[in-house]
Amino acid sequence: MVKEKLQPGEPEQPDRWEAQLRKGAVEMAALASLWQGRLYGLEILRFLETHSQMALAEGTIYPVLNRLKAEGLLTSEWVEAEAGHPRKYYSLTETGRDRLRQMAAAWTSFSRGLSRLIEPVVHEKERSNGQ
Amino acid sequence: MANETTMESYLTNLRLHLAPLTIADREEIVLEIAAHVRDSAEESGATVEAILNRLGPAEALAAQYRDGLLITKASRSFSPVVLLRATLRVASKGFAGIVVFFLAIFGYAMGGGFVLMALLKPIFPANTGIWLDGDGHFISMGMQFPTPGSGAHVIPGLWYIPVALIAGSLTLLSTTWAIRNFLRLSQRLRAKL
Repeated sequence: MVKEKLQPGEPEQPDRWEAQLRKGAVEMAALASLWQGRLYGLEILRFLETHSQMALAEGTIYPVLNRLKAEGLLTSEWVEAEAGHPRKYYSLTETGRDRLRQMAAAWTSFSRGLSRLIEPVVHEKERSNGQ
Repeated sequence: MANETTMESYLTNLRLHLAPLTIADREEIVLEIAAHVRDSAEESGATVEAILNRLGPAEALAAQYRDGLLITKASRSFSPVVLLRATLRVASKGFAGIVVFFLAIFGYAMGGGFVLMALLKPIFPANTGIWLDGDGHFISMGMQFPTPGSGAHVIPGLWYIPVALIAGSLTLLSTTWAIRNFLRLSQRLRAKL
């Protein structure tokens, strides 16, 4: 586990900032992966990797799922599989769907606003690439 | 075979560190992690050691489960014991938690003090309440045994009871509300990657 504390005066590293950003999004990502239907833990990890390049540490997703379930946003069921052992499938509850809709709306307006804000920065990069 | 032993010892360790959870919750977590390791090994052909490494130490994994559940439960609880335990857990990770922990103790002590005064006022009416000196200046609030001399006295009247009860309840409620919000916030910020 990486220590979270930042010493005063120490500049924040870009990778640290990115890690914080992803931390804030992990709940929404986990909920979003279940929007289309039930998945088990490993499928959620793979789904996030392929659809959002969001590579989570494997030990992270399970406690998060457990907590989201305790909050009533997810339900789970054990399903016998051909693999010979049962798998724990998660699905969204109605509360979970509502929460995800709220999160998606907040996220969209937030990211639109920020994209507008950094437009000049992105354009400058494009121009210098074009020369 | 070696793989099975490695996995068993990891799961035993995990079970051990999940001890504060109910047996049902604990076994379900262990089953799920076991299924993850088997599926992951089958899918990627990686060794059990490599997969367990990616999961991180059993102790750390268990701690993430425990913290998550403790704080989730506490952020909906009204019990000072549950709330203070969860705050203490957060306090072990950073300065803000320590400050909130002491503010919480202060809030509970103050709220509890008000309520206690309201309850004791009918029993010791001349000793409990707001104290003034001989010139009518405020000295203190609370109980004094024996009553101090030199004209110091309690403002008379049983109005003190409802006022202290309301002040106490408001202090306790706002303390509870503040801790619960702090715990929710800390959880959002602390979800680990």
